[in-house]
Amino acid sequence: MRISSEKLRTLCRDRRIQLKDLLKEAGVSRTAYYSLTRKESVLPKSVCRVAQQLGVSPSLFLVEEDEAVRRIRVLQARTGEICRRHPGCDRDVVFRTLLNLDSTPVERLRKALSRARKPAIQG
Amino acid sequence: MRENLLFRDKEIAFLRELTRNKVPFMVVGLSAAALQGAPMVTQDVDLWFRNIDHPGIRKALKKLDGVLVPPLGLNPPMFAGDHVDCFDIVLTVHGVKSFDEEIKGACEVSMGKFTIKVLPLDRVIASKTFLNRQKDRMALPALRSAKKALSQ
Repeated sequence: MRISSEKLRTLCRDRRIQLKDLLKEAGVSRTAYYSLTRKESVLPKSVCRVAQQLGVSPSLFLVEEDEAVRRIRVLQARTGEICRRHPGCDRDVVFRTLLNLDSTPVERLRKALSRARKPAIQG
Repeated sequence: MRENLLFRDKEIAFLRELTRNKVPFMVVGLSAAALQGAPMVTQDVDLWFRNIDHPGIRKALKKLDGVLVPPLGLNPPMFAGDHVDCFDIVLTVHGVKSFDEEIKGACEVSMGKFTIKVLPLDRVIASKTFLNRQKDRMALPALRSAKKALSQ
């Protein structure tokens, strides 16, 4: 499994972000990225060997990360995007706002009220 | 902790009764911001009424075993009763236009089987900016960040 630069650039375009900004945000150097794009496989050699031994593609026994983790990753990416466009924004607030959008308005209000009623948080 | 502190069915029922009785009101303040997604913390739910003498308010209160405590001196009118005392009565919101003008641009927020009017986040920010009390100044950076997140 290798990196498709073309697909990655399309994803960047969809999110209105430049590849160099994506790499910076992700903490990946350009050198590391271009080195990865030249590799036949970005998977560890041991994984490829197991797949070869089985005569199957590694994708057959690799699983996606947990749905909840993936959702958080998506929100983190969106948060990064918003904070890049609006440098004055509080990253945590932006993230929590996006996370709240997964809840119903009533749940959001409950959260706001219950947090305020906890003495430890009220300080 | 009392059950009603967490905004359960009875509190929602009060809002439903207000709506059913066609009481002109909208949620304002940090509860309005929270309903729209801003991660705010608030003690009460501020309800802005056009007119506190609207007969529908008393009907709704009666249904939920609540009462209206009339204003006395510097004390504003209040709701009393286990299922309604988390609601604060607001008759004037500073820093924004009149009730009739603001309600035209209010957001419709779903409470399940009915909707209520909520002051939009940018109007909450306008009011807090105008009031400029210490608690408003503390809330404003978070409100502005939430606004940016929601406007994307």
